[in-house]
Amino acid sequence: MKARPLAWLEGKRTFILLALAGAALPLMDDSYIGLIATRACIYWILVAGLNLVVGFAGQIAIGWVALLTLGAYTTAVLTAGTVLPVVHPFLALAISGAAGAMFGVVVGLPALRLRTFYFAMTTLGFATIVTQVALAWKGVTGGGIGVPGPVFPAPFDSGWGFYYFCFALAVVSTWMTANIAVSRFGRGLVAIRDAEVAGEASGVSKRSLLTTVFLFSGALAGVAGGLFASLQSYITPDAFTFDLSILFFIAILIGGRGSIVGPLLGTIILTVLPEFAAPLVAWSTFLYAALLLAIVLAMPGGIADLLDVKNRRPLERHREIVPRPEILPRLLGEERENEGLSLSNITLSFGGVRAIAGLDLEIRPGEVHGLIGPNGSGKTTTLNVISGYYAPQSGEVRLGKMALPPGAPQRRASFRIARTFQTPRVIGAESALDNVKTGGMIDGRASFAESLLTLPRHRRDEADLHERAMRALTAVGLEALADVRADRLQHSELRFLEIGRALMLRPACLLLDEPAAGLSAEEIRRLGTLIKAISRAGTAVLLVEHHADLIFDICDRVTVLNLGKVLAAGTPAEIRSHREVVSAYLGA
Amino acid sequence: MPTSAPDILLEVKGLSAGYGKIGVLHNVALSIATGEAVALLGPNGAGKTTLLKAISGLIGRGGEVRFAGRDMAGAGPREAVAAGLAHVVEGHRVFTQLSVFDNLLLAGYGMAKTERRRQVDEALAFFPEIAEKRHDRAGSLSGGQQQMLAVAQGLVRRPRLLMLDEPSAGLSPVLVDRVLAATRRLRQDGTAILLVEQLIEKALATVDRVYALARGTIVLEARADEPKLPERLERAYFGQDAHAPLEA
Amino acid sequence: MLESIVSYGLAVGAVYALIGITYNVMFSASRVFSFTAGMLGMLGGVLGALFITRLGLPVALGLIATVACGAIIGVITEFVAVRPVLKNLEQHLYVLSTLAFALLVQQFTAIEWGTDAQPFPRLFQIEDSLVDQKFWLPVVACVATIVGLEILYRHTLVGRAFLAISEDNYAARALGLPEQRLRIASFALAGVIGTLAGFTGGEVLLAFFGNQSILNFYGFVPVALGGMGSNRGAVVGGFALGLFQQAANFLVGGVFAAVAVFVVFIIILLARPEGLAGAVSARRV
Repeated sequence: MKARPLAWLEGKRTFILLALAGAALPLMDDSYIGLIATRACIYWILVAGLNLVVGFAGQIAIGWVALLTLGAYTTAVLTAGTVLPVVHPFLALAISGAAGAMFGVVVGLPALRLRTFYFAMTTLGFATIVTQVALAWKGVTGGGIGVPGPVFPAPFDSGWGFYYFCFALAVVSTWMTANIAVSRFGRGLVAIRDAEVAGEASGVSKRSLLTTVFLFSGALAGVAGGLFASLQSYITPDAFTFDLSILFFIAILIGGRGSIVGPLLGTIILTVLPEFAAPLVAWSTFLYAALLLAIVLAMPGGIADLLDVKNRRPLERHREIVPRPEILPRLLGEERENEGLSLSNITLSFGGVRAIAGLDLEIRPGEVHGLIGPNGSGKTTTLNVISGYYAPQSGEVRLGKMALPPGAPQRRASFRIARTFQTPRVIGAESALDNVKTGGMIDGRASFAESLLTLPRHRRDEADLHERAMRALTAVGLEALADVRADRLQHSELRFLEIGRALMLRPACLLLDEPAAGLSAEEIRRLGTLIKAISRAGTAVLLVEHHADLIFDICDRVTVLNLGKVLAAGTPAEIRSHREVVSAYLGA
Repeated sequence: MPTSAPDILLEVKGLSAGYGKIGVLHNVALSIATGEAVALLGPNGAGKTTLLKAISGLIGRGGEVRFAGRDMAGAGPREAVAAGLAHVVEGHRVFTQLSVFDNLLLAGYGMAKTERRRQVDEALAFFPEIAEKRHDRAGSLSGGQQQMLAVAQGLVRRPRLLMLDEPSAGLSPVLVDRVLAATRRLRQDGTAILLVEQLIEKALATVDRVYALARGTIVLEARADEPKLPERLERAYFGQDAHAPLEA
Repeated sequence: MLESIVSYGLAVGAVYALIGITYNVMFSASRVFSFTAGMLGMLGGVLGALFITRLGLPVALGLIATVACGAIIGVITEFVAVRPVLKNLEQHLYVLSTLAFALLVQQFTAIEWGTDAQPFPRLFQIEDSLVDQKFWLPVVACVATIVGLEILYRHTLVGRAFLAISEDNYAARALGLPEQRLRIASFALAGVIGTLAGFTGGEVLLAFFGNQSILNFYGFVPVALGGMGSNRGAVVGGFALGLFQQAANFLVGGVFAAVAVFVVFIIILLARPEGLAGAVSARRV
């Protein structure tokens, strides 16, 4: 893409305007406005972190006020010195951040195991418990009487001084979360939200990624709590109502999932709105709830969607996908060592029903291997064994000489085994380019902290990923649609997009699950050419497909399954004339 | 067999359907006369099940479906059933927690009580094997018996057209014959049948006419007793112009 | 002391069990976990006090008016917060839509009714001999509900249709069952059961808008542990939870009871995400 001057400014306009407005706010010389603005900054510090959990990773954490409470009491109690020796406010704030991080993980970890609603309930339960503990643990928290909040040393002790302190932290939080948003970690989080299985296949580790994000988000919440305690000047459990949790949560959803600007605006609006309409104060939570309902039912994209002008421009109606297989060698690498994939004696039963009964299969590099058979013959099950969703009861899958760990789908990417899905699994809310970049997840070298601070290694990662992703898009013929949201693409384009994503792994073995379903005859022809070229570039390709013509056109070898066993195997010509196959496949 | 000027019971024109963005069926046209038995054949993934679902209104569709002279635009499965179009879905999905008898009663949901009882008894009469087990939980039946129960459910409302989706799937050859024999009896009683079946020979022995579906559209229509039908079907499935495999 | 533990424990346990059944009835019909279960319990207390204390209706009429309101609100829930998001169940939008709807109702209650816990009227002007009515009422309501549901499911065609759509929605639709109407009816039924719980437990829990989140959580614990959709699990779990909670309350203090329940809940769920009696998860690919 051509570099334009000031291109980096694009999309940052709202941030810059807000930063200028925030910096210039003291000129208004109204301490009431200062108070509200400080509160908005503090809320945003928490919401910025929570946004990664809710907006990006899609985890419904509705009880985040618990971490604010925790941070507030930690800072207040430590600076007051009622229990332990007096701690300097800044140190106390840092400790609150650490405590927040720790409890962020404690509250968040159930998300790894539990279903959405269950997780929402546990966060809700946690919020209730923390308030009750604060009320009951009188020796430390002062119970219902409360504790005084910390006062930060000059120049942060005055109203505007404290405002600038919070404002600076809010700017830093924005910057850090925005960095994460455009890193492989941000894309991994969105993959967990919208296309978990595909993310797993690309090597997104839900466990480590979510743990990291809960740490970070908890730390921000803890810090926000400390600041909140100072702003309140005196804290009691009453200050931490569940309404506050709702405010944080709804600010994100009103803002729009997967956006930073949107939730930022959402936080400002929700903080400011009740202040300017005094009669509304009693109704504020009612209004938040009404807004939430309206957003969910009518405008799931939130504010961010309204701001996203680019994706409302109409697309060309009659688009053609023209893959360019000739650049595949550059994308996949010229010299590749690959000994292919082999399955030996795989058996797998579900509740007494044999799905696969002693299957041997060899998929050689440089070849397209077709896998056909009637419904229920075990084709998709075979794919799922290879990609680790099922652990076979016996037998082994090997890549060259390495035996693949049974189960463990998230570890297949590191073996360079890529796949596509029967129903395309893409992230609709992200651009085609970002979807493809998700496939390059495991090649990133920068750590979460490096991405947070956009250090050189992170920038190198991203530059490299961008270049490869554009190449992959070009190879599958979608480069013109790189910036288009995936949910605006046609079905056929999604099929090619998935292949593009899979190519980012530079796969030793590529598994294609009915890639031709729903494609036109011309598109199938182009798909065939592309698949064949991918194999010729040194990839072992396994193709599960119903379109007999495509199978016989491009496969070098075909295996026919029936009732979980190999019915026949050979060249397409041999299979084509095999009576038993014709009868099993056609049913005669 | 209705030979002279058969009146059309089901007429489908320009039908398209799919799941979300995936178009499965394109411009499908077919018709079934009153009392006629028709088989819908085709390879895996051709869209046979989708076609039945689109006809019965289980999924959305474009195009025209007329049944018994009535335009079925916007009609869901409930309206279809009420009009006399029963759809027995694939995979003998009966309600395993309920008794055989209750499963059948549910098929007559909304009918008058005595009428419903009588119809259930009539439906059971087709399948003596499950009639014996009418008080057993459907979950305790074998796969074949569950399939019979599913077909019997389809009969409770005395439909004018019964659509059967792979009634033979997962059954032993003996059971397949029993299910298909019941189908033939129904046809003799004047019920039209639309049968989706993988076992071509058995299907051909059951029906008057066949349609073949491939790649989401009808590629062949023929009488069941035409010569060389299997060969013609094979060509239709693989595409008439199946070229020789490329050798790299 | 044992006496108060048992009587209090059984009373709140019965309320939890009924709220659990409320979750189940909605879940069976729609596969939706709804935050409105606790809301219905809260409303049972508030509406009962409104109709009987404030408006002076006789007890029987007050009960009928309360459960009728519950049924209507249940139906509104289905229309507003459930039906629009059913198409994309896997996006879990129902968590947000039912939460939003429950919050709307709760906030409206807080504003119109007040945020203080208000007394619930005594239903029967009789001298309680052995056990006070406030303790046995919820238990009786719970037993009546179980018996009623049993009759519905085992002896009526509508009840069997409920079971059918809960087991296999697709097959039920193919068979021509009025799935949509049955779903609406289920939500109305859930409304009745939920408000009945709050109404009969009114004297113990009071007419208080804040009961919503408490009942949401403690009503969910037994169903989560017993397996979603299992009424038996909800009842056993509900009573066990009530007794455990009250015992801890009396013996070591309320906060520790709450913390203990929460910790046990999390640990069991983490060990068995589908509940102690639940089935394994569905296939993903």
